[in-house]
Amino acid sequence: MFQYIVARALWLVPTLLAMALVTFLVMHATPGSPLDPVAEGANPLSPEAQKNLAEIYGLDKPLPEQFAIFLGKAARGDFGTSFVYKTRTVAEILRETFPVSLLLGALALALAVVGGLTLGILAAVYQNRMWDYVSVSLATVGVAVPNFVLAVFLIILFSFVVPLFPTGGWNSPRDWVLPTVTLALAPMGIIARFTRASMLEVIRADFTLTARAKGLGERAVIFKHALKNAFIPVVTLLGPMFAAVGTGSFFVESIFRVPGMGRFFVLSMTGRDYPMIMAVILTYGAFLAVMNLVVDLLYGALDPRIRY
Amino acid sequence: MRGQGPRSNESGEAARSSNLWRDGLRRLRKNRLAMAGGVVILLLCLVAVFADVLAPLPYTKTNFGRLNEAPSREFPLGTDQVGRDLLSRMIYGARVSMLVGLGAQIIVVLIGVPIGALSGYLGGRADICLTRFIDVMYAFPRLLFVILVMSALGAGLTNIFIAIGLTGWVGIARQTRAQVLAIKEKEFVDGARALGAGFGRLLTRHILPNALTPIVVSVTFGIPEAIFTEAALSFIGVGINPPTPSWGQMVGEGQQYIRSYWHLCVFPSIAIAVTMLSFTFFGDGVRDALDPKLK
Amino acid sequence: MKTPRITDAQVDLLAERLRAVGVGRREFLKVAAGLAAMGPAGFNHRPADAAPKLAPGEKLAKDQSFRYGGGGWWQDDPTSHDFNKDLYCNGVPALFAGLMKFNADHQSVLYVASKVTSNSDGSQWAFTIRKDSKWSDGSPCTARDFEWSWKRQLDPASAAPYAAFLYDIRNAQAFNKKEVTDPSQVGVRAKDDWTLEVTLEGPRGYFPVLAAYLAALPAHRASVEKHADKWTEAANIVCNGPFVLETWQHGQVMVLRKNKHFFGAKDVVLDKVTIPIVPVASGALPYENNELDLTSLQTGDLKRLQSNPKTVEEVFRYPFPGTWYLIPQVTKPPFDNLKVRRAVAHAIDRANIVKVAQGFAIPAHAMIPPGFPGALDDPKIKAIQHFDAKLAMAQLRGTPFEGGKNWPKVTLTMRDEALGSKPLAEAVQSVLLEHLNMKTDLEVLEPRVFRERLWKQDLQFVWIRWFMDYPDPHNEYFDTFYGKKTTGKRQAWVNDAFDRELEAGRDTRDPKKRMAAYAKAEEIMQTDVGYVPVAWTVRYAAAKPNVRGIERNRQGEFVLEANIYVDMLPHLYMIERA
Repeated sequence: MFQYIVARALWLVPTLLAMALVTFLVMHATPGSPLDPVAEGANPLSPEAQKNLAEIYGLDKPLPEQFAIFLGKAARGDFGTSFVYKTRTVAEILRETFPVSLLLGALALALAVVGGLTLGILAAVYQNRMWDYVSVSLATVGVAVPNFVLAVFLIILFSFVVPLFPTGGWNSPRDWVLPTVTLALAPMGIIARFTRASMLEVIRADFTLTARAKGLGERAVIFKHALKNAFIPVVTLLGPMFAAVGTGSFFVESIFRVPGMGRFFVLSMTGRDYPMIMAVILTYGAFLAVMNLVVDLLYGALDPRIRY
Repeated sequence: MRGQGPRSNESGEAARSSNLWRDGLRRLRKNRLAMAGGVVILLLCLVAVFADVLAPLPYTKTNFGRLNEAPSREFPLGTDQVGRDLLSRMIYGARVSMLVGLGAQIIVVLIGVPIGALSGYLGGRADICLTRFIDVMYAFPRLLFVILVMSALGAGLTNIFIAIGLTGWVGIARQTRAQVLAIKEKEFVDGARALGAGFGRLLTRHILPNALTPIVVSVTFGIPEAIFTEAALSFIGVGINPPTPSWGQMVGEGQQYIRSYWHLCVFPSIAIAVTMLSFTFFGDGVRDALDPKLK
Repeated sequence: MKTPRITDAQVDLLAERLRAVGVGRREFLKVAAGLAAMGPAGFNHRPADAAPKLAPGEKLAKDQSFRYGGGGWWQDDPTSHDFNKDLYCNGVPALFAGLMKFNADHQSVLYVASKVTSNSDGSQWAFTIRKDSKWSDGSPCTARDFEWSWKRQLDPASAAPYAAFLYDIRNAQAFNKKEVTDPSQVGVRAKDDWTLEVTLEGPRGYFPVLAAYLAALPAHRASVEKHADKWTEAANIVCNGPFVLETWQHGQVMVLRKNKHFFGAKDVVLDKVTIPIVPVASGALPYENNELDLTSLQTGDLKRLQSNPKTVEEVFRYPFPGTWYLIPQVTKPPFDNLKVRRAVAHAIDRANIVKVAQGFAIPAHAMIPPGFPGALDDPKIKAIQHFDAKLAMAQLRGTPFEGGKNWPKVTLTMRDEALGSKPLAEAVQSVLLEHLNMKTDLEVLEPRVFRERLWKQDLQFVWIRWFMDYPDPHNEYFDTFYGKKTTGKRQAWVNDAFDRELEAGRDTRDPKKRMAAYAKAEEIMQTDVGYVPVAWTVRYAAAKPNVRGIERNRQGEFVLEANIYVDMLPHLYMIERA
């Protein structure tokens, strides 16, 4: 077990290296120079100023050397200064924005898991009755509507039709609601569907029948036996779910004006902000890899059939 | 969602594979939801193929006197910002969106299946290398990477295939490998090998057909995902070039007009949602039908 | 005060210098706007302050809080507020006060300076600084601060990207390029606390205009020395403008407070200004949900707000003169054929195309929009490229494309931009298809890629705009189309006769002759179809009914904060809601 964890953790290094290399190459192959000014309508820099800037950024060196320098610094946690936000280092920006994204992601995931399980259980227990349809419909909307459309629907619904929440911002828990819900609906739908399916299977399975036969109440059967077993497939979903929540966040963040890391990605792409692009991709990559590992371990802990 | 990890395929003998398909089809027919999904998909394909016949107007036909009109008898789904018939654009959009979905999945299969099959079949050092490669690719944040690649390639339909294909093959490769591994050990494969079947023949005639189930399932889920990705790309402006209509692009643009002209966003959203659901239900059905033990 | 005459040679020198360093065209023109306005009578001595003039029945609101943004204002977080180092930092200009400022008519007027004098040829200038000029920490903001700030911008160690802006100062360029290492050689010097003496490289009558521009704003020395690049963070910043930065939550919101140490503080009414970072795609949603008091509108929202009785009164138009046009690249087939270009010109159904802009564009028959100097209402000009579908098709007779056949692949290229531009381009595609059977692909490029390829004149057919920088035809023709431009040239089309008219317009002082030259230039360019004018831009904003004090220009139009004019906030005030 311990060995397994260490081995997986060690694999993170070449994984991130490869990710860095691919990103680096694609990024440099992308047309459009980072030496152009950032501001809309700004004038091109003079060749001299561009040369200066290239020197400051280290873009005048050959690519392999640039990559080596990047790796050397990144290993020490230094991603350099953002080309767009010139007064702030990438590390500073990430320190400010990553926790926001993490909070949003965690809230969304929590809502997705709790909501998804609840809906799934309700749907399974009240199969083909109202709750089933409610949960299926909700799940359907969540899975089938792109989240940037969902976001606007929710704004119209809950900022204008029923004025409960602001159209954006991130100052108080009230601001958290709409982005969290937007982000949570899709994974919630998936979890609900899976929970419903595995619950139905478990409810009909032998051991539940035995439990019922032993005289356990319906509620106890559901919670003690069925739920635990139904939870296992849901855990397998968590890995891809983290990815969905993580990458989905940049639409949600920009629409709801959430100062998270996600919205920086598109911005740093259009700004050809090399250090930010590298840092954002690697942060996501590392985070996802760690989460996948956690999910695998959790899966092992829940399902006694799995051994490492 | 895709199945996880290696699972054994009980009815895996080449001789019985036709039975498997027949049984599968029978089971699929019984699944009403899946059949409904299948019918919708079939209709969508027909719409895509016969768009020229079905569309009341060419998708480029503008009418500057009739901008952003709400649905009416003349324009059942209304008109867009340039006065084009939204219904016609949706019909052509079906073609583009299906193309995106299929095109991307073809690339995904073409890359993913050989890599997965090779890895599983060869085993040993080759397998270790390929698996590691697959693992590395698996860790990439997909959507971010698609955007990165699109920026490098520029907007356009072909580039969308490439960007999604290049980043999307990993899941299918993993599953193919797992299936191949499981099947490789079966007696009939040994038998075939003993009879002198070569590597290529073994792979194409015996192993792959049996590994087909997860590939089919994976593709049915991959198509709506690609349509979704295209919508997301269009939303940030690296999608398909106008005037070619795609649902994703229509949603992306209509989203900004939603309070004034709701129909611009709502109808293509519904189209995407219906497509997405049909594929999901159909995919579920196919998976259940082909391998009743998988859930 | 006697103002030195600004010679044409000086104007050209400035233009050339700025072009050479790339600050170029646009900034020069912004500056020249004030220059043109200064005239021989000297500077406009309008006071820097502005007291509210309440209408009968209006009462100042107790809570003087104002929120604005959206529609293009701060759609992204500013880089910093350090204009002294980077004039494109996208910060809040109201945090600082320069020696001069631009008023609503884009004239340079006194601000921190109470008096400006020069020697007879304008090569030496002295700015007398107000004795009540203070930093927001209460310490005096003196001539020494300006001296230090300008030298900081020029110091090669600062690596300020647009330092070339101050190259008119003696030895500034040499110092910036490390040819002179002694900063005392640079021609800016505080004679005493209240007098800034500037010695220039030569006669520069326009220098007070430069002094009004963002790049000439000061920086607070102690803060810079203590916090380096971080000195404009809310926790560190010390500034000298009408407002201070109370909080700056990156990527989210900036909150300004009235600066009680500002010399004009008694006339600043707003107490608190909130600027959320709002992406353009949010449209008017935050405004309609009462999260903003003032916003700039987008095409998707205008009609709705105008048709709603509640908001119709809140919407107003403001000048944002600009021209949408097509460049058929004369070096690329099929546009190397004049007949084809003429066919395109006549096929552009402008009246219909602008409909898709939903009020944000009007049909254009020339480069300069109506109401601005050089605007042409001449039927002769209007006729050159007038819309006539039959005539358009007829142009193709005798070409390989007769009858609208055999078109090669035509790609119309535009840059990715917020709402409004793409529907117009699609409308252009549509009329070309309809009237010439010319099928075009629309290629939407990222801004950076677009600029790169545009300046290489690598694009076959371009959909592009020019936003006027200052009201003079020199801006609309010379700086956009002049054939001998070395950098930033957009089109491959060159025409000597056209260039000569532009030179004549530049070198002549007689307004009549100038306008005649530009009219002739327009005629040449349209006849040869060097460009195809399509539409003029119009902009709209919405303000809540309790917002007052938005300034108007001489034409009586409301003026909103933009690139040149940044003096909006000190004039605003809120009244009690009825």
